[in-house]
Amino acid sequence: MQRRAVFLIGLSLALALGGAVSAPAEQTVWSGLVMANNVAQPAAIPPELNRVEGTLKALFGYNQFKLIGQSQKTLTTGGEDWLASSKYFALHVDSKSETAAGYLLNLKLYQEKSLLLETEAKVSKASPLVIKGPQVGDGLLLLVLVVQ
Amino acid sequence: MKTFEEKWTAWLDGELSGPELAEFEASLPDKAAAEEEKRNAKRLGTFLKTQLQGRTMGNEEFFHHQLRERIAGDARATIPPEKSGARPSRWPLGRLVWAGATSLAIFLVCAVFVMREKSPTDQSQYLTQILNARVDPAVNPNATISMFEANEDRVTVLWVEGLQSLPSEYATK
Repeated sequence: MQRRAVFLIGLSLALALGGAVSAPAEQTVWSGLVMANNVAQPAAIPPELNRVEGTLKALFGYNQFKLIGQSQKTLTTGGEDWLASSKYFALHVDSKSETAAGYLLNLKLYQEKSLLLETEAKVSKASPLVIKGPQVGDGLLLLVLVVQ
Repeated sequence: MKTFEEKWTAWLDGELSGPELAEFEASLPDKAAAEEEKRNAKRLGTFLKTQLQGRTMGNEEFFHHQLRERIAGDARATIPPEKSGARPSRWPLGRLVWAGATSLAIFLVCAVFVMREKSPTDQSQYLTQILNARVDPAVNPNATISMFEANEDRVTVLWVEGLQSLPSEYATK
């Protein structure tokens, strides 16, 4: 009986330590360059933007949102960087670290080779980030980051 | 050799006889006073016998039963359990170890679940935070930056106003 008790304690400790030290699940950051404009026959919103569709329409007043560039990166070390680009714009994302509040990201929006905007943000899984960019024609350039 | 007091007590009780009685009575300085004292002692003895008789017990059987129970209880208390042949303890060492191990296991499992649920690495409780933002004032001198949260979808918005407008060809993929 005492052997069984020792075995039970050992198993519990193994489970506890295993659970405590298990690595957090890998997370993917989706970043997109979005052109928003108003058209008579709007195309369906890309699935990546479903989560923020309501906010985009309410905040910016456009009925169509099209992706002109996107990138999806799985973060493993928390120190990755990547680029989402279109013909004229590029969004460079540099993941600096993972904190309790989320991923610390440095974002740079380039128009061709000139830096338009730079920002640093702690991006959380629960909270997408939307950046209002420059007016382009009759539309608006938006940058969207979602931790998935 | 009896002392005078012993002989006196025996004489009062009428236990002296023969030459011993005669010798003792001859040694008394006032035999009449001694006889009077003997009579008084006898009267006192008779009186005490009549007055101090034990009371009859009304519930004798119950008293005996109570007495026997108490004696048996005292005997059980003083005899060690091993000798009394009593049944073994309800919580022997093995069962205690087993109960302790089970309790510890349950505690550890619960603790792990609680810790995992409340782990600070779980980011779902946090909103995205914009730490800083800037635009090149040489390129966009009129640009202003503000940030807020749209509660509808828990979206954090960085609102940049005043960037230079671009022609529609910049909207191409």
